[in-house]
Amino acid sequence: MIVMKEGNKRIPKWNRKVFAVAGGLTDYRKWFPEYKLEELVMLAFRQMLEQNDLKMDPLEVKGLINYAVYGHFADHFQDQLLCSAKVHDYLGLDPLYNVGIKTGGATGGSAVLTGAMAVASGYADVVLVAGWERMDEVDTRTGNTYISFAACKDYETRLARMYSAYYAPMAKRFMETYNLSEETRAKVAVKNHLYACSSPYAQQPGRYTVEEVLNSRIAAWPLRFLECCAMSVGAASMLLCDEKTAWRLTDRPCELYIAGGSHTLRVADRRHQAIPLLPHETEEMYRDLLEPGSRYPGFESFLASRMAAWFCYRMAGIENPLEDLDLVELHDAFTISDIQTYGDIGLRPYGQEPDYIESGDAYYINPNTGKPGKCPSNLSGGLIGTMHAVGATGIFQGVECLWQVQQKYDKFHGDPKIWEFWGKTKPDDWQSLQIPDRKGCQAAWVSHAGVGSHVTLGILRKAWQ
Amino acid sequence: MKETREEARFIGRPAKVVQMEPAMVVEWPRTFIHRHTYGKLTPFFKGLQEGRLLATRCKNPKCPENRLWLPARADCPDCLQPMAWEEIPQPVIGTIYTYTRVAYGGMGLEISEPYWQIDVELEGVCTIFKGWLKYGEPKIGMKVRAQFQDVPTNTILNIYWVPHDG
Repeated sequence: MIVMKEGNKRIPKWNRKVFAVAGGLTDYRKWFPEYKLEELVMLAFRQMLEQNDLKMDPLEVKGLINYAVYGHFADHFQDQLLCSAKVHDYLGLDPLYNVGIKTGGATGGSAVLTGAMAVASGYADVVLVAGWERMDEVDTRTGNTYISFAACKDYETRLARMYSAYYAPMAKRFMETYNLSEETRAKVAVKNHLYACSSPYAQQPGRYTVEEVLNSRIAAWPLRFLECCAMSVGAASMLLCDEKTAWRLTDRPCELYIAGGSHTLRVADRRHQAIPLLPHETEEMYRDLLEPGSRYPGFESFLASRMAAWFCYRMAGIENPLEDLDLVELHDAFTISDIQTYGDIGLRPYGQEPDYIESGDAYYINPNTGKPGKCPSNLSGGLIGTMHAVGATGIFQGVECLWQVQQKYDKFHGDPKIWEFWGKTKPDDWQSLQIPDRKGCQAAWVSHAGVGSHVTLGILRKAWQ
Repeated sequence: MKETREEARFIGRPAKVVQMEPAMVVEWPRTFIHRHTYGKLTPFFKGLQEGRLLATRCKNPKCPENRLWLPARADCPDCLQPMAWEEIPQPVIGTIYTYTRVAYGGMGLEISEPYWQIDVELEGVCTIFKGWLKYGEPKIGMKVRAQFQDVPTNTILNIYWVPHDG
């Protein structure tokens, strides 16, 4: 659909407020034979119930759950259909109803959105949202082929059998159109690998230089391996509830807004259309952006991300994301998809995306000024540094936002016992990446599927004084 | 009299044990064949077998989109009416919109790597057609010409592109 009509543009609205109160993660690893899948979900579930300072006994909290939403991307990775039924039973939640969600890389975000709908509608007061992926049953090349089954099997899958080759042409086009340098792309990889060094859950922490990223092995030119996300095993969980229950459970609930957008799976099929404007944008800003014959969103942008932001900002009353948000967690499956998203969600106007990195706004500490970055991104380490256990990813990002807004980054990343539990040693030079507290503190996360076919944008806002 | 009874027997192969510590891991081979239908796209893939490139166009005079679709689709997403097939006249000359060099493809890749994957704009087509370049080095804006495999692959890989020098 290119021309949106009145009903298509309706802004989502909850019938009652929705809150996130707790989260749980596992370690994320390339190869994780120590645990079966449902055992990993159990660990995330238990961390959520036991370690989030909830004001009730963990089993009492479990007794409040009415409904469960599970995210897992690909049945063939787990080699188990209806995995959600198996996990649900393992968590001891039978005979409550549960539903499985599959929207590719956006599965986690879509699961949170689905859980929020249940609370907002009144179907449930307390919803467990959990997600996972087990990507180690096959070797990496086979895993890439499995993922590429999410491309169009008639026209595209056979042309690479690997998703980096579907994003790489976007990188080339973006570089040509918007003057993006290889160095700026590499800086995204350096930043996110570095932030992963502070996370006990991270699969790919590393202190790299721009030169090391640019000299790393090519996956699909111009994308290097160090610019690509992890292929992970792991799980994540989040607890959503209504307002009354939220305050029963915690003194630090976060109000949740989340909305989504979709666009064609085949990048090829993106016909030109007018740019949907975010609240802080004007038509004048983009008057000279596109030359005659150019396309929007073309290969440079993600319409689904733009629409997710278009809906969610209006739903949550966000006027200018760079000014209003304290943190963003973006779906950095590849450095280029991270950079493309800066324009889609309005951190910079379209065409000026590289400036979000070069200005230092995207950093915890702005390397240009030595002061805090204006709106740091992916302090979790993101998909490049920490994890992409696909069905868990959009939940992991939401949990990281939740803990940041709750001022619990140090509790969940700096506790040596968490490092030791996962067989790691907390680094001597461990650095806290906790964002500052303020009234109305809020963080946003983007969950994104194959070349932007599904995208959700969620916002978690501090609800206590 | 001796009692005879039929016994069910294990007739599979023992799963290969990969490791026992820290947890037991076994190999679980999987080999399946899918029968995939091209459905109403059959004229497109039949065309590729014959060395012809076919696209679709909506014939509804009220439809806002009257350009060709390639990737072809049988039904119009704008007005929901069935579309009609049209052959793109030969030689099929397109312009490279963007490209990548695939160095590390997935399992089962049927093109020898590294190779150039290209996205091709064609005049009068509202979409952009993904393909592969048999030889040469691509540039955005470069002209390329469609060619077809002598022995049909019966897949999208039947069509490929070569530099068009004039």
